[in-house]
Amino acid sequence: MPILDQGYQHWNGQLMGHAWRWLTIARQGCRAQLKNRWVWFMILGACLPAFILSGFLVLWGLFEQKSSLLTPLLFLFQGLPDEVRAGPRGYRTTFWTLAFNQFLDVQLFFAMALVLLVGPELISQDLRFNAMPLYFARPVRRLDYFAGKLGVIAVYLGAIMVVPVLLAFGIGFAFSLDPLVIRDTWRVLVASLAYGAIVVLSAGTLMLAISSLSRNSRFVGAIWIGLWVVSGVAGTVLNQTIHKDWCPLLSYTGNLTRMRDALLDSQTAWDKVAALFKAGQDQIRQASRPNPFGRRGRVNFSLGPPLQPPAPPGAGRTSTANASGPWQTPSYPWQWSAAVLAGLGALSIWVLATRVRSLDRLR
Amino acid sequence: MHAGSGCDEGTTEFAMLIELDGVTKTYGKVTALRGLSVTFPEGSIGLLGPNGAGKTTMIRSLLGLIALDAGSGRVLGMDIRASRMDIRQAVGFVPEDECLFPGVMGVQFVAYAGELVGMRSRDALQRAHEVLDYVGLGEARYRRVESYSTGMKQRLKIASAIVHDPRLLILDEPTNGMDPAGREEILALARDLSHAKGMSLVFSSHLLPDVEAVCDDVVVLGRGRLLAQGRIDALKQPHDRQFEVRVKGDQFAFAGRLAARGIDSAPADDHLLVQLPEGTASAVLWETAEQTGEQVRALRPRRSTLEEVFLSAVAEQD
Repeated sequence: MPILDQGYQHWNGQLMGHAWRWLTIARQGCRAQLKNRWVWFMILGACLPAFILSGFLVLWGLFEQKSSLLTPLLFLFQGLPDEVRAGPRGYRTTFWTLAFNQFLDVQLFFAMALVLLVGPELISQDLRFNAMPLYFARPVRRLDYFAGKLGVIAVYLGAIMVVPVLLAFGIGFAFSLDPLVIRDTWRVLVASLAYGAIVVLSAGTLMLAISSLSRNSRFVGAIWIGLWVVSGVAGTVLNQTIHKDWCPLLSYTGNLTRMRDALLDSQTAWDKVAALFKAGQDQIRQASRPNPFGRRGRVNFSLGPPLQPPAPPGAGRTSTANASGPWQTPSYPWQWSAAVLAGLGALSIWVLATRVRSLDRLR
Repeated sequence: MHAGSGCDEGTTEFAMLIELDGVTKTYGKVTALRGLSVTFPEGSIGLLGPNGAGKTTMIRSLLGLIALDAGSGRVLGMDIRASRMDIRQAVGFVPEDECLFPGVMGVQFVAYAGELVGMRSRDALQRAHEVLDYVGLGEARYRRVESYSTGMKQRLKIASAIVHDPRLLILDEPTNGMDPAGREEILALARDLSHAKGMSLVFSSHLLPDVEAVCDDVVVLGRGRLLAQGRIDALKQPHDRQFEVRVKGDQFAFAGRLAARGIDSAPADDHLLVQLPEGTASAVLWETAEQTGEQVRALRPRRSTLEEVFLSAVAEQD
């Protein structure tokens, strides 16, 4: 029993408008998920690629400046063709594009795993515990509710996909000591952010739709794994067996990857690098032929030549369709993947609108 | 001044608490409300009706949670079609469902409910502590809600509904599934809010004693229509020719003497229920007592119980 029982007191405060109600829902959801240690582990794990990306951009910046700080690390640059070593700024866009492309490729795994940890309970828990009246008997619209739940996923995916991109870009800019870096690489930044937004919207709405299908969060998680892993395996297997253009479209992450390649135009970057390395290899072969004077030609690498020139990316491939590797963009147009993702998004919205129908029902 | 003052000025003056005019709501082939027209005065109103009478649908229509097929209405002076969000901001609602998700402490849950209504985080948290003290959950505020008993969960729901100090509190079957002690606590809370704290109540229940314990007015619904409405005191009207008589001595001898005079009586608890024939005055009871040598210790006109009012209203619709 309290010493001074004040009983019930009336409240004179001012209530806010309806515009930011979704933020309350998102904040509560984020707070709840932070209690899950696996979410923390996943976020920490996703920081590693971000550190690697930042480290690469720092090295590249120093490399552009021919900084003496790189002296202990010269061996890292021995494999680069002459053109790159002579004028690295001319290849800035290419290498930044590839660096961000590889970073986002790795982050897609963490994004899918993080959605698996964060997403299943978002709506299924509310359905399981009949918590809808908590929201809809208050001044909360369905749109606020969905936006708040999507906001939870957006915060976590943003933390591993958008924030690292912004930080790495800033670090790369800082270490380049060249204002022109903005002119050269702003497209990389915009494309990376756009890709992050696509992943957030697509994976977010999809997970919310799946979460609204069941009151059991484990079923929701299982469906997500199926969509992520099984669709990827199915797309790969079918592509290798029946060789149809549409086969990769079965893979959810494959479609996201196709969108990333299109946004970053990574194929052009890979082709440029491949041409560079191929030229370097030809140059070495040319120099290694016996000459009439009995001397072996030497290639003048200022940082020392490699014993064996690296093979160009994509070397040995016979056709564009059959080759595989990080440098190989699928042959089908990116619009197909965009259509698949848009279709999934529309389906998700329909499922949400059907499954979460306010309280306008008989019971 | 209650939290509803944050709404538009038109809401500050209203003639009646709730007005519904010709409200109809159909779910497929089921008509839940059939042209329901009813007005509620300020105060505590009991909403009675058998299962399927339309109580929950009416509550949802008041909150603007359902799309009406026809009709109009106002709650606290606000139109139920045009000002749905303002109504929900000014009204507190305690749903029948449990609607508590696990993993949060009681104080967090109430503060969250406050923020959803539009309170600032700091205000909501401070207010959550106050209302939890009021509903008697001060000691349990830092416990997770899944560890609460049924009665505690019910009180937590009430705390969540009053965190923004609404002008009108709607309770949907608040005592369902509760033990007698917990039920009495909820009734005491509801009574205190309506009679001591100036909060208007709509108390929906099919438990007549609960409504009688809390409410001043009652509305009886049946098959989506209004069957009866009025102040409980007035509905429980005295009967002209029915009396409750308690005598000292042999009650059965007294009943026998009444029967000899052609007066029907029946024992009830410690007294007799006497039905006087047409044209007979109550003086005949005193005469009979004098003849039998009994002492009349109590004599009062019998009043209808709320149950009788309810059953009568339901029977009339059939």
